[in-house]
Amino acid sequence: MTKIAQELGSIVGSDAVDQWENIEDRRRVEIARSLKAETFPSCIVYPHTEAELSEVIACAYQNKWRVLACGNCSKISWGGLVEVDLVVSTQRLNQLIQHAVGDLTVTLESGTKFADVQDILGTAGQFLALDPTAPELATMGGIVATADTGSLRQRYGGVRDQLLGMSFVRADGQIAKAGGRVVKNVAGYDLMKLFTGSYGTLGIITSVTFRVYPLPEASGTVVLTGTADAIAQALTNLRSSALVSIAADLLSSGLVACLGIGQGFGLLTRFQSIPESVNQQSAALLQLGQQLGLQGAIYSAGDEVNLWQKLGEPISASSTEPVITCKIGVLPSAAVATLTELNKIVPQSEILIHSGSGLGLLRFEANAATPQRILEMRSLCQSQSGFLTLLEAPVSLKQQIDVWGYNGNSLNLMRSIKQQFDSKNILNPNRFVGEI
Amino acid sequence: MLTQEKKQRNWKPIIKQFEAVVGKNGVVKRREELITYECDGLTSYRQRPDVVVLPRTTEQVAEIVKICDRNSIPFIARGAGTGLSGGALPTEDCVLIVTALMRQILSVDLENQQVVVQPGVINNWVTQTVSGAGFYYAPDPSSQIICSIGGNVAENSGGVHCLKYGVTTNHVLGLKLVLPDGSIVDVGGQIPEMPGYDLTGVFVGSEGTLGIATEVTLKILKTAQSICVLLADFTSVEAAGAAVSDIISGGIIPAGMEMMDNLSINAVEDVVATGCYPRDAEAILLVEIDGLEVEVAANKQRIAAICKQNGARNITTASDPVQRLKLWKGRKAAFAAAGHLSPDYYVQDGVIPRTQLPYVLQEIKYLGEKYGYRIANVFHAGDGNLHPLVLYDNSIPGALEKVEELGGEILKLCVKVGGSLSGEHGIGADKRCYMPNMFSPSDLEAMQWVRAAFNPKGLANPGKIFPTPRTCGEAARAQSAKQFETVERF
Ligand SMILES: Cc1cc2nc3c(=O)[nH]c(=O)nc-3n(C[C@H](O)[C@H](O)[C@H](O)COP(=O)(O)OP(=O)(O)OC[C@H]3O[C@@H](n4cnc5c(N)ncnc54)[C@H](O)[C@@H]3O)c2cc1C
Repeated sequence: MTKIAQELGSIVGSDAVDQWENIEDRRRVEIARSLKAETFPSCIVYPHTEAELSEVIACAYQNKWRVLACGNCSKISWGGLVEVDLVVSTQRLNQLIQHAVGDLTVTLESGTKFADVQDILGTAGQFLALDPTAPELATMGGIVATADTGSLRQRYGGVRDQLLGMSFVRADGQIAKAGGRVVKNVAGYDLMKLFTGSYGTLGIITSVTFRVYPLPEASGTVVLTGTADAIAQALTNLRSSALVSIAADLLSSGLVACLGIGQGFGLLTRFQSIPESVNQQSAALLQLGQQLGLQGAIYSAGDEVNLWQKLGEPISASSTEPVITCKIGVLPSAAVATLTELNKIVPQSEILIHSGSGLGLLRFEANAATPQRILEMRSLCQSQSGFLTLLEAPVSLKQQIDVWGYNGNSLNLMRSIKQQFDSKNILNPNRFVGEI
Repeated sequence: MLTQEKKQRNWKPIIKQFEAVVGKNGVVKRREELITYECDGLTSYRQRPDVVVLPRTTEQVAEIVKICDRNSIPFIARGAGTGLSGGALPTEDCVLIVTALMRQILSVDLENQQVVVQPGVINNWVTQTVSGAGFYYAPDPSSQIICSIGGNVAENSGGVHCLKYGVTTNHVLGLKLVLPDGSIVDVGGQIPEMPGYDLTGVFVGSEGTLGIATEVTLKILKTAQSICVLLADFTSVEAAGAAVSDIISGGIIPAGMEMMDNLSINAVEDVVATGCYPRDAEAILLVEIDGLEVEVAANKQRIAAICKQNGARNITTASDPVQRLKLWKGRKAAFAAAGHLSPDYYVQDGVIPRTQLPYVLQEIKYLGEKYGYRIANVFHAGDGNLHPLVLYDNSIPGALEKVEELGGEILKLCVKVGGSLSGEHGIGADKRCYMPNMFSPSDLEAMQWVRAAFNPKGLANPGKIFPTPRTCGEAARAQSAKQFETVERF
């Protein structure tokens, strides 16, 4: 037993510590994909309570052990490569703390799995308005740390817009909190925003309070496919119409083909409301699309659920080739044009852009990637006021380029925030923007 | 004899430097003129600033702040001065940087649904600018015709339409900031979730303690196809509260849902004389719904039915803009009306879980009786944000202290039931001594880290938000260890 494993075992119990060699294979591979070099962490620790987690981190702080924080490891390979002494998982912090049905809020421990939360809420006719990657595996803490949601951003905003409060273990091991359990609150700084998307570099989130929503009565999706010009026109018309979608995603032809929903570019628009409204809006959009010469279909019930599920899955999941996944942003008005250009750089790429926010995902097989191509795509996005961040990619590629692509002027400010929250630089060192 | 060891600053050379940046007209230094700036909307605290500077551009703000930094002068940003928590209250020996001349709408991008404005732009100018094209800016504080966007950003202001669409923070995409050392940074952008920490998110609601926002990129929304306001009156506050809960749990999210009690109904009837809120009602509920015509029609029926089930006497609905405005007019004038009922009023802004509404209102009533003050209640019922207006006369010695104590009791009650000290007005100078009721020393320390990163010398709006031992000695001592253990301080 290493010293680290031994010492932490005395805090969490030996059943909650696995030495590196004893970690199950799949997880070990996942963790290895986030490591800078072939120096492995000594162990992974699974605290059962916030108090245990606090002790573990206090111990790490005293010893200056560097910590890689994770939930269920579904996105552990995202972000910059790290070099750490141990891994801490919140997986066993998985209790529902409170579902305030009448107040439309839910408070959970951070290791609770997203799918489990949706099940609990579903029984009360409510849901979390998030559609993260790997919903069956993702924990709430991981979703917050990576700001990971998808198409539902159109109506409900990002993770930041729905997180009402949280507690966390600070780098020195003390427990702190911010926000609250009510839907409106301006007392104190909004640390929830700061932590959302901070990739575990500021503290380890132990519980979160989210706003929840009533499940809509009816749902329907209009799929339009065709030429770039016609899709661009459809988007413009949709924007200026009275229609209110909860998701409106632009799809590259590669993605359209992969989903088997037609040819050319795609526009997937989802309506959720009372049945009359969904029917009316779906019919109106379908007609609008057809007038522009687009192929169209309305998906409902099981077909619709399957369609969105498939869209959320790593598209090339079936492929054995390593895949590159990027998070991108471009001005909404430039979405179709940028998508066309991106497609020229890597023709097979599967691209999805949420048309309201301009955020999206870009995926392609790693063998099509060179650092130069990625930088080319990045500058394309940046020329549209956006960005391109490498989420998932082979370690060898991540070693060659800056994964984040931050080109702003507030890096110093970000660094001093990190310095304040984690003066010894023990939490996910090097994982974030500017080697934070 | 009181011998204060306060070294008097020699302002002359500093004023010269300010004038070099903004010109003579941009610096206010005459005592009579400075009086305008000695308080914000919370008029019970006053402190005259030493100097007021009125810059026009980001660069000018940066130069002014640099001068402050070099000379270790505390500076305080001020927008329209309508804040209700003393956020823009000057401190001794300070410069007030007022954005009143920074009133340009810098760009409008309808295609991407965003506008960039200077911080002094008045809230409802944004909507006015884009409404012709079918858009609007959602956060609409009742003070929207006078308050500034910069103030809204600093306070994370809400409004009656924030139930469905969120508060200011949900509508700010990016900011240009002058940091307390005078450097200029851009945070956020035109697209959400740019790489890096969400500095926009942490700046919004930071009450001027992290720097000065000099450009704000706001999201605008498409105007709904159909809008309807529904007014229901009830013979008890509890019944109205129950209707609120039923509407929400029925799966309807109205754009806004507001409640007023009998005292405030009568106050606005006296002042605005709308003749549409029945004076004998114990409570009225205003519900605005928006969406497609079919949705609005269906929800109108459902909400009316829910109100009826909960004992509503009359239900009035209005769909055309003029009628809608008429129904809202009383609510928007509620604070002003309270000013007519009584020489002074003190507003609180606590938040509670919606479901605790009937209990908390009852308790507030008891507290009012106990302290001997009338309390009018207007509130954002949909999100549990209360605005008890305590009516009093400031010319009676000791009254303010009593009223503040009563206000404090109300806030503690809100925290006790799982709520918050403030929903939209901010902590400011007013409520900071109650922060330990809601947050532990460890929580507050973590928040201070943010401040230390942005504002290491503490020159930007000192003495706000956080309790200090000097000013909150009493409150801090009153925090017994026992209280820390048991109170769920969320
Ligand atoms: C009648 C009335 C009704 C109101 N109704 C509502 C309501 O419905 N909802 C609501 O939320 N509020 C309401 N308010 C409160 C107030 O209007 C808001 O807080 C508003 O946002 C303050 O804007 P202001 O321009 O007056 O800011 P000020 O009072 O001038 O300043 C407020 C705070 O913002 C800081 N600040 C100002 N400009 C900047 C800047 N550019 N950069 C950084 N910091 C800055 C100041 O330092 C101060 O801390 C009401 C007030 C009144 C008087």
